[in-house]
Amino acid sequence: MSHPEFRHIGQHLPRKEDYRLLTGRGRYVDDIEVPGALHACFVRSPHAHARIVSIDRDAAARMPGVVAIVTGQELALWTNRQRMAPPIDGLQPMEMDTLPTATVRFQGDPVACVIATDRYVAEDAAEQVNVAYEVLPAVTTMWQALEPDSPRVDESLTSNLLSHQHADHGDVAARKREAHRVIESTFSQHRQTHLPIETRGCIALWDAGREHLTFHVGTQVPHPYRTTLASRLRLSESQVTVISQDVGGGFGQKIALYREELTVAAVARHLQRPVRWREDRLENLLSSSQAREDFCRTRAAVSAEGRLLGLELEIVEDFGAYSFYPGNYLARVVAMILTGPYRVQDYSYDVKVVLSNKVGNGPMRAPMAITSWVMDGTMDAIARALDLDPVAVRRLNMLQPQEFPYTMATGEVLADITPRETLEGALAAIDYEHFRQRQQQARAQGVYLGLGICTVVESTTYGSRFYKAAGIAGSGHEAAWLRIEPSGAVNASVGLGATGQGYETSLAHAVAEGLGIVPQQVHLHIGHTDIAPYGMGSRGARGGTAGGGTLYLCAQEAQVKVLAIAAELLGLSDSVGLRLQDGRVERIDNGEWTATGLGLADVARTAYLDPLALPAGMSPGLEFHKTYEPPPMTYSNSTHVCEVEVDVTTGAIRFARYVVAEDCGTVLSPVVVEGQQHGAIAMGLSGALYEHVQYDETGQNLSGTLADYLMATAYELPHFEIIPMHTPNRATPAGIKGMAEGGVMGAIGALTNAVNDALAPFDVVATQQPLTPMYLRGLLRDKSVSINKA
Amino acid sequence: MSNLEKRSITLTVNGHNHELVVEPRKLLADALREDCRLTGTHVGCEHGVCGACTVLVDGKPVRSCLTYAIQMEGHAVSTIESVAVDGALSPLQQALHEEHGLQCGFCTPGIVMTFEAFLKHTPEPSEEEIRDVLSGNLCRCTGYQNIVKAVQKAAEQMRRNPDYVAP
Repeated sequence: MSHPEFRHIGQHLPRKEDYRLLTGRGRYVDDIEVPGALHACFVRSPHAHARIVSIDRDAAARMPGVVAIVTGQELALWTNRQRMAPPIDGLQPMEMDTLPTATVRFQGDPVACVIATDRYVAEDAAEQVNVAYEVLPAVTTMWQALEPDSPRVDESLTSNLLSHQHADHGDVAARKREAHRVIESTFSQHRQTHLPIETRGCIALWDAGREHLTFHVGTQVPHPYRTTLASRLRLSESQVTVISQDVGGGFGQKIALYREELTVAAVARHLQRPVRWREDRLENLLSSSQAREDFCRTRAAVSAEGRLLGLELEIVEDFGAYSFYPGNYLARVVAMILTGPYRVQDYSYDVKVVLSNKVGNGPMRAPMAITSWVMDGTMDAIARALDLDPVAVRRLNMLQPQEFPYTMATGEVLADITPRETLEGALAAIDYEHFRQRQQQARAQGVYLGLGICTVVESTTYGSRFYKAAGIAGSGHEAAWLRIEPSGAVNASVGLGATGQGYETSLAHAVAEGLGIVPQQVHLHIGHTDIAPYGMGSRGARGGTAGGGTLYLCAQEAQVKVLAIAAELLGLSDSVGLRLQDGRVERIDNGEWTATGLGLADVARTAYLDPLALPAGMSPGLEFHKTYEPPPMTYSNSTHVCEVEVDVTTGAIRFARYVVAEDCGTVLSPVVVEGQQHGAIAMGLSGALYEHVQYDETGQNLSGTLADYLMATAYELPHFEIIPMHTPNRATPAGIKGMAEGGVMGAIGALTNAVNDALAPFDVVATQQPLTPMYLRGLLRDKSVSINKA
Repeated sequence: MSNLEKRSITLTVNGHNHELVVEPRKLLADALREDCRLTGTHVGCEHGVCGACTVLVDGKPVRSCLTYAIQMEGHAVSTIESVAVDGALSPLQQALHEEHGLQCGFCTPGIVMTFEAFLKHTPEPSEEEIRDVLSGNLCRCTGYQNIVKAVQKAAEQMRRNPDYVAP
């Protein structure tokens, strides 16, 4: 996996983070001791939709240990409302109070905050806050949301249709007329939640003398978070420090500034006392952001041979009750990258995002998760309709290596990806031809094996130009600094927010490579807004290319100065023929690199303590800063192949094999990348099989415990076989592409396609997830094996 | 409110006695974290499912979120802070490190405590057994595969060299 030109990038080193985490010495938010801190607990709506008639806090306020009880009324005086109104065609602007003052919009919506000396007391008191509600009809499905006489989730909007975008590329209508068949397929993904094992939480410390807020919170995006927090509190960004040390998982749930966190900050400032809050699991399942819940329909115009001539996509997404993100933020990306590895220029999409009385959506690891299932599921539908081999249909439609760079119908450019290679690699590994024989033999015995294929083209690094093209507010740039201290110690920072990715290890490889030292010498300082440079944080799969890339470039610039100083110290006219290798300055001599006796520490000592010895005109010190704008988009690709056995009498699914061939470019740390692949696949399979945020028809959340919201354990998940097929991206620093979400995309598709392959003899198709035994049995009830498919 | 009156108890944690004054309803997890200042025991769900708060009570894994501190008088509680001796990782911790068996690390202390106990009475576990036991601990990051590998490696290491001390 390691590229021959790299010395450190791609090396297998265990993680630097592990020691403290393995010994119980990590510092997650709730581990930080703050003497005298008060504890917050939120009073939450029991109704999905209701008017707040009154809030009686007297009984609670009289309880010993209760310091304050605040509602949306007070918070409106202390904070600014949120306005989500980027200039996007088809998007309705939305506003949100810090805590609702008039209407609650989902079960779990916070209406008051109790501050007490102890968490137990705060919880007791929260139960004594009496809120009178007038219950309103709730919107609990996306289809209900779209009905003309539906209750409105947000009275200030004209309808529940928060966002609607449509695009026509080429002439799909003409392709449909010319087609041999138009094949329609649907795909329904259910509501899920991120479920980091560490729930949310925060600590706010207001320094009244300095008028400064120190805010401890687990966040993926320290700087953008600070910008929002300061603005909502009417403070300048100089008055707020956000500190995010160890974070127990994020997966997209720890990006937005939540109303609870803003409330805690505002109350700490008002009381001039430190206040802390730790969300419990019930709150996490009831009120931290949720995701997915989208419906897709494709209509594929195809030739008799199965060639895709034109494609239509409809998406409807249930976005929940509030806009923590612009409404088009998630679904639009699906539409823009849908066609991925397949060749089609006539393509249209229609994307509707609706409001409902549920928790507001946020991006969850692979916000575009459904993409590859929809596309490869459509390939399978074509194969079924035309009685073709599903691999043959894919081979016919998949882009050839010589077609790259390929401009997709939407204008997005795919370059430096290898979908055919990963498809063939994964099929060879699973021995596809032989599988079909085994499948036939097994069917004869009444055993139903299925093999599902899903090729993923994963959008990884979102550059500013992509955001602009997609009508999404935001920047894709990143920032880094690097300082070589007088002793030669190397400190570096970048504007990412770690939530378990192992940045202290993988990014050290990028710095070491760029500078010419060993990774063990590099110390990363991230997650502190006064220390790290302003970057866009960790979201998507940008950490590698944006974070690692910026650090690599910054380190290369540092090396140039180090070698210039070394040349001066060696009495050379310039640094040609010098290099820094593992912290030693070497000189080429008759084609051989030889030691000069100088090391990084010598150069650093000179730079700081003997600046008069520096080359003429050079400024003292070794401090470097770099910002970097990545390409509009980088892509990784992979092919997932999953073999299952479906027990048709119970609907149970058993994994036989799970194979992934993946190309995610230059890999900073193979250990970390493999871990990310495992985690992403697990999240995809777990979601497709079990996880389900369920609301009943009145909007009551039925999945408030981990006994209801089921996450796959070690017992249910298969062994993942991973085939690295990495090739570099030619447009990014060191050829990094980024990864970590594609595993979810591929898993969802490969598993469902496998189940459908197993059920093919019954002429049924699973079009929704989760693939529960009840659902599969429902499909199979009264069905028997079709004679011609036995 | 008499049931909320604080009581004086002695909690024996990692071989040390802690004199605490706690409400009867105080969870062991909270007492360990707040009163004993041992924050390595993490609270992930407070209803006994995720396993992050697992500690050993008289050598056996227990959910400290489902246990009251006052119930623990007369028992020996061990937490993650006791596993590495003089800073040296145990074979299990070392194997988790080498096999990349942790990412965000939040669930890790519970997993370490579960398998420190398990490996004592099951020195030669099969993958099936490991996955079965591990099903009591939720991990959102790793997909479990490297944890399974690490437990296998630790078991092997411990069988080969019962006196092993990690480097």
